[in-house]
Amino acid sequence: MTTRQRTRVTVNGRVYEREVEPRVTLADFLRHDLHLGGTHVGCEHGICGVCTVLIDGLPARSCLTLAVQADGMEVTTIEGLRDPETGKLHPVQQAFVDAHGLQCGFCTPAFIMSTVELLRDNPDPDDEAIKEALGGNLCRCTGYETIIASVRLAARRLREQSGPA
Amino acid sequence: MAREFPRLPEELPTSAVRYVGKEVRRVEDPALVSGSAPFIDNLQLPGMLHCAILRSPHAHARVLKVDASAAEALEGVVAVLTPDDVKRWANAHVTSPPGWGTHCIAIDKVIYVGEPVAAVAATSRHVAEDAIELIDVDYEVLPAVASAPAAIAPDAPVLFEEHGTNVIQKRVYTWGEVDRVFREADHVVTASFRWNRCGANPTETFGCVCQWDLTDNSLVCHGSYQVPGFWGLARSFSLNLPANKVKVVSHPMGGGFGGKGGARGTDIAALLSRKAGGLPVKYIEDRMECLLAGGSQSWDRRYEASLALKADGTITGFDVKLLDDQGATTETYGTISVAKPLAAFTGNYRIEAARYDTTLVVTNRAPVAPYRGYGPPPHFLVLENLVDMAARKLALDPADIRRRNYIRPEQFPYTIPSGNEYDSGDYEAVLDKVLKLADYAALRKEQAAARAEGRLVGISVVNTVEPGVFDWNAYATVGVQGVGVPEGARVSFDVLGNITIVVGFNLQGQGQFTVAAQVAADYFGVDITSVKVTTAATDATPPHFGQGGSRVGVAITGAVLGACQKLEADFKRVVGHIMGGLPPDAIELMDGRLRVKANPAMGMTVAEVAGTMLGRSDLLPPGMEPNPTATSVWTAPGRNMPDEEGRCRSYLTAATATHVVMVEVDRGTGHTSILKYFIVDDCGTRLNPASVEGQLQGAVAQGVGAALLEEYVYDDGANPLVTTFVDYLMPSIHEVPITRRDHIVTPSPVTPLGAKGCGEGAMHTTPAAITCAINDALAPLGIEMTETPATAQRVWMRLKEVGAAR
Ligand code: FES
Ligand code: FES
Repeated sequence: MTTRQRTRVTVNGRVYEREVEPRVTLADFLRHDLHLGGTHVGCEHGICGVCTVLIDGLPARSCLTLAVQADGMEVTTIEGLRDPETGKLHPVQQAFVDAHGLQCGFCTPAFIMSTVELLRDNPDPDDEAIKEALGGNLCRCTGYETIIASVRLAARRLREQSGPA
Repeated sequence: MAREFPRLPEELPTSAVRYVGKEVRRVEDPALVSGSAPFIDNLQLPGMLHCAILRSPHAHARVLKVDASAAEALEGVVAVLTPDDVKRWANAHVTSPPGWGTHCIAIDKVIYVGEPVAAVAATSRHVAEDAIELIDVDYEVLPAVASAPAAIAPDAPVLFEEHGTNVIQKRVYTWGEVDRVFREADHVVTASFRWNRCGANPTETFGCVCQWDLTDNSLVCHGSYQVPGFWGLARSFSLNLPANKVKVVSHPMGGGFGGKGGARGTDIAALLSRKAGGLPVKYIEDRMECLLAGGSQSWDRRYEASLALKADGTITGFDVKLLDDQGATTETYGTISVAKPLAAFTGNYRIEAARYDTTLVVTNRAPVAPYRGYGPPPHFLVLENLVDMAARKLALDPADIRRRNYIRPEQFPYTIPSGNEYDSGDYEAVLDKVLKLADYAALRKEQAAARAEGRLVGISVVNTVEPGVFDWNAYATVGVQGVGVPEGARVSFDVLGNITIVVGFNLQGQGQFTVAAQVAADYFGVDITSVKVTTAATDATPPHFGQGGSRVGVAITGAVLGACQKLEADFKRVVGHIMGGLPPDAIELMDGRLRVKANPAMGMTVAEVAGTMLGRSDLLPPGMEPNPTATSVWTAPGRNMPDEEGRCRSYLTAATATHVVMVEVDRGTGHTSILKYFIVDDCGTRLNPASVEGQLQGAVAQGVGAALLEEYVYDDGANPLVTTFVDYLMPSIHEVPITRRDHIVTPSPVTPLGAKGCGEGAMHTTPAAITCAINDALAPLGIEMTETPATAQRVWMRLKEVGAAR
């Protein structure tokens, strides 16, 4: 199992080119090879959604994606959200802080990534749309109430930020 | 002498409390939302190896041979741990009660599916997993004990041959004249209940990185450990090391809810490191290991229980018989969950006599571990369902029968028959408030209308008491010895007046670093951003216990306050001295200034005092050390030895909550929909209200899982049928009701600032509340669900039995 495959992935705008064993998941590749530890794994079998990242802008389970499958693609992880220079949090991140959308925080990067994608296409989601978008992410701590509140707060701030339509 | 603490936030030395009791943004959150919190799997050490564990495919078998030669020969494998190594280097695990544990990997026989039999350390996890497939194990399969009734059958195979029985402990506690009250009762309600296994399942599984120093035989364990000192002590026993040679570094945890930590995983990684010449070894439990044998299974119980009542609905007796399946060993302290109900045995009620007949057995299922609430969630499911059954029998409203049996506000402090003392409460006020919030009368009308249409709609009104702040005496009766629960904090000022608080536990989600920061910031009148809270390894931290038993919020408040008080005393000496030799009691602390009482314009800020202490020894009173640092270790006052019936003051606080739930059961599928959910609770002072609300709603989610979805299923051969999240159903955003909540505040008279333990919260009440609502829905059919989880399948089968399924 030592055959390696040349893989070129853009992560948070930076290009990485590595020799990767085909069996390595994207989650492990991000976490252990690229040292981007903000993408967590909760089950490694596709149910919990804790490993969610954006691949070419769409949410994907990085535990079910092989690193070599991401060859040529653009991946966004939680590390790619805040302002790299000032450290200022992305509005969705800040909304999760302000509306108490987390407890242990292990699921949170995934919820935030799913929310970023949701709000890009739907700036004013109702509860049903939020539940639909986040239905594939498990949180064991919060009971989801404050997560929904965080998404709504983020949506409002992003709408305000982009001005009247 | 006991320290005097401010009993309410208003008594803090500030004219306007800024943080305690206010909704505060958590100090822990920016790192967590950025993905930069150092969860254990993010730790990489130079030369680090990765561990994979070979686990038993059999529930009960003798291990005849373990041949690891092929694994050892695989490129990248550095060490293989076999039973021989473990025999040589390790002891059987300390258990409660003692003598019901085994080594970290099986030595002579395996006693549950998933028990470790060998382990590999290799240059990558992939190689380690390849290698364990090359290990050759010969087993002689033995007949398995698949359930608790099977464990006590006369011809049952025995797991621990040295004991000659599968019964770990049999004990009957009798409090008051139980036989008499049942003899004299006008009504007796009796039922059997079955609570199937469910468990914690935090989103982060257990993980550790262990490094054995071969020079001085010492060990460092980094990992997701919720009670670091305790885990370290246990390792010193299992690995034959002096306790001060085991250093535990606790990392932030992705949730815990019970036994976050891993005795076997830690010992295995530690011994692999020893065998690998001292290279660090990482072990990250995967989800399947967690579900199979990772301390995520709890509460495998069968109950027979009765209530004795007078004609008017007064409850006089509560008789509980429990058969408890602990799984294969008692190494994970699951026995605690049998003892904890003693702290709140009779719930919110005045019940004069009670009995608790307990039988704890081992079976070839995975060992059970603590889970949020420990023991009371199933116990309250039994009590509250019996109360509802009694209400139906006596044609009383469930709210009314409860109301007439409540402990009344003037009766506190109130000692319950099982010995614990409740500190305070006002149960009727909670009930009234939730009935109003829910518009209970309207709900009942809605229900009547639905019933008239043939729909199965039910409502419950369920209350429980949450024992908070456990102590060493709580679990002595199930053989947990020497669990002291000190909680320490070291508070220090730097030369510029910034505050650092060092505690002995790490983040787990409850926001306790924020609580520590809130208390110190208000005490010294500084901005919360100038307070940093950090955890230290076990060799550098004050005595501590950590999360467990709804106690850290209260305990850390006490510890931080204690340290602040010591600093205040030192600061007063310094300022008095500088202000011309005034005695310390001529100085007072207010809003961050140490000022002269007689002339408040004269004074110094805390930052100035700290800076002076560290920078100008010439200005200090003679003999005073230049050290604006203080350590305080809090523990609950007034704890006592259990008597012969297990009675003692074990849990310091008694929070309460009443839930009103409306459900509908679908005749076609048996599916239960939660239509409405209301909660009013009282946990005294809410230190950070946002965190309290989060604990409540989060525990509702877990309660919904326990009541309706989550179950570890085993077959007749004790083989687990649930090993992935495909079959262990965790509640998603679609299953969890968003509850409507309110609260009252009855401050605890016995805790610093009046807070009560509240971390386990709704887990005590939700499973009972949902099943009671289901049973109200089913009442017109004359059937009851007394088995958890009330899955659609189970309910539908029951409906079918009475011809009510569609
Ligand atoms: S870790 Fe990928 S879905 Fe659970
Ligand atoms: S905050 Fe802990 S799992 Fe979501």
